[in-house]
Amino acid sequence: MTRKWLRWMPAAAVPAVIAAAALAGSLPASAGDPLPAKTPQEVLALVAHHSAPSLSGTLEQTSRIGLPELPKTGPSAGGAASVLELLSGPHTARVFLDGPRNVRVQVLDRLAERNAVRSGDEVWLYSSRDNTATHLTLPADAGRHHDVGQYKHPGAGTDGVMPTPEDLAARFLAAADPTTEISVLPEVNVAGRAAYNLVVTPRTEGTLIASVAIAVDGQSGLPLSVELKARGQSEPAFKLAFTSLSLEAPDASLFAFSPPPGATVKEVEVPAHGTGSLPGHRWPGHRTEEGVVPDAAVPDAVTPDAAVPEAVAPDAAAARPTVTGTGWESVVEFPASAASAEAGAMMSSDPLLQQAAVAVPGGRLFSTAVVNVLFTDDGRVFAGSVPADRLLTAAAAR
Amino acid sequence: MPNKEVVATDAPAKASSGLPLLASELSVLFRRRRTWAMLLALAAVPVLMAIAVRVSSAVPPGRGPAFLDRITQNGLFVGVTALLVCVPLFLPLTVGVVAGDTIAGEAGLGTLRYLLVAPAGRVRLLLVKYAGAAAFCIVAPLVVALAGAGIGTALFPVGPVTLLSGDVITPGEAVVRLLLVAAYLTVSLLGLSAVGLFLSTLTDVPVGAMAATIVASVVSQVVGELPQLEWLHPWLFSHYWFGFADLLRQPIAWDSFGSNALLQAGYIAVFGALAYGRFVTKDVLS
Repeated sequence: MTRKWLRWMPAAAVPAVIAAAALAGSLPASAGDPLPAKTPQEVLALVAHHSAPSLSGTLEQTSRIGLPELPKTGPSAGGAASVLELLSGPHTARVFLDGPRNVRVQVLDRLAERNAVRSGDEVWLYSSRDNTATHLTLPADAGRHHDVGQYKHPGAGTDGVMPTPEDLAARFLAAADPTTEISVLPEVNVAGRAAYNLVVTPRTEGTLIASVAIAVDGQSGLPLSVELKARGQSEPAFKLAFTSLSLEAPDASLFAFSPPPGATVKEVEVPAHGTGSLPGHRWPGHRTEEGVVPDAAVPDAVTPDAAVPEAVAPDAAAARPTVTGTGWESVVEFPASAASAEAGAMMSSDPLLQQAAVAVPGGRLFSTAVVNVLFTDDGRVFAGSVPADRLLTAAAAR
Repeated sequence: MPNKEVVATDAPAKASSGLPLLASELSVLFRRRRTWAMLLALAAVPVLMAIAVRVSSAVPPGRGPAFLDRITQNGLFVGVTALLVCVPLFLPLTVGVVAGDTIAGEAGLGTLRYLLVAPAGRVRLLLVKYAGAAAFCIVAPLVVALAGAGIGTALFPVGPVTLLSGDVITPGEAVVRLLLVAAYLTVSLLGLSAVGLFLSTLTDVPVGAMAATIVASVVSQVVGELPQLEWLHPWLFSHYWFGFADLLRQPIAWDSFGSNALLQAGYIAVFGALAYGRFVTKDVLS
């Protein structure tokens, strides 16, 4: 009988070994030399002073912001649905960067891929799902518009496919003001690199955001991951992190893009000022849609003053948004306009958005873990990273 | 009696190599009419697809399986599209038949005990049987890919191939990518073969083991679609089945190939050990 049991030993041992290996793999790898201790200011400076490097890396995004999971297969949904699709659920993207003017971002979808390639002033957007390419030429001074302080990220706001940690970190850091506590926690390991863990915590209770953690590479100052935690959620509501990273220059041929034969090519004229408006183009980062559906939800909520006026620049003359409240408790109001009416119509016509938005007294509320947006029946839009009742109060006050 | 049987048959096999046994296993497998029928059925998928696209009007992008609209522009896409269509059902079906038949088929025919009377240990017989199933895993995707490339070349123009990233490669490179995709699917099916081998040791009724293997592949894919069981997804052997698209990007994303190989190796280890435990303690009566 004992012999018989011996024969079954491998069958018991192999799963045990695999389980042990899986457990060991999930433990954080211990970094080599500890990084020299730095104050939050020094880490911020490290970020601010890092120059746009050459890199190739893989980014992974996960979000649990309370949006419904959208189908990932089938024909690409246009407009707001594709923005939501990028924000909800997991995504993987590859980023290639060579100096400030050569950028390639690939969003790796299931059996499909979305590409944004910038080479000098030429920008190509390509979607394999419907085999369409969009071409635009940036005005010569593009890029300077999108500087945030000293920090310069090439193509920020033009590629619009999936924000890199650099993008997000710069926006979060720009919002650092007396309403916010910034501290450096023990170092973390991201994509195999030792990184400072900069944590931004709102000093107020009146916001949905619990904390924002940014991992800053100890050597280059490059932000390696951004993690957004919402109140009452133990898992991060939104996380964007490098899973692999190499700081060597990628192959130059990656940036030489020409539309493949058979693809539908669209030419888009870029107005001389502001790369904002790309009429008729369905790329997820479509600016006019971003004004409607929360401008990438996250940055809008955190830096209303910095991000919003630019995002809605095309409509600015008609209806300028007003901000009530300060810091983390800000509520942005978009007055009734063609754009907000269009948004309201979209909210009620698109079945996916209908599911996401709930009816509340006086309008429809689009609610996520980190941002709430209220579409009132009279066409106004209120958005803020605040509890829903504050939006209702703000709407009733007018 | 059982102990006696175990001792008698499992005495470490003599040092003669298992190659003759493997050769005879492979020749039996590939001379069977059933194997040929399954390979022909697999080859018929790209042929039917290419003919259907050829005689009908242009396929609008975004309809039908991915890449279907590209076929008219480039015949080599027939191979990729056919592999894509075969992944969820046809390939697991045929592999399930072969893997489920390995041990149970011999038991069902009453030839298992003669195999074990010959100086071939049970472990070696198990390894040879698994090698036979693995050989079928190599041949099956290759047949689909080559039949697809062949019929595509015959019916459609062949030219530079557009990858998912929008980059264009030469037809020669495209054939290499197609073979890589076939290799990826071979690796993908090895885990299922190990499951089939284990199930085959459980029964003397080959049809039961075949059906159970095919059901396992269907269940794995259904579970893989349920968002409620997301924590389980990375552990399903079908998790990376569609990851072969990563070989059609520029540059190639090898991550999914590596993860897939690791996962399948884990399945081979676990179900190989289970099959070993079951087979060497089994009373072979037929």
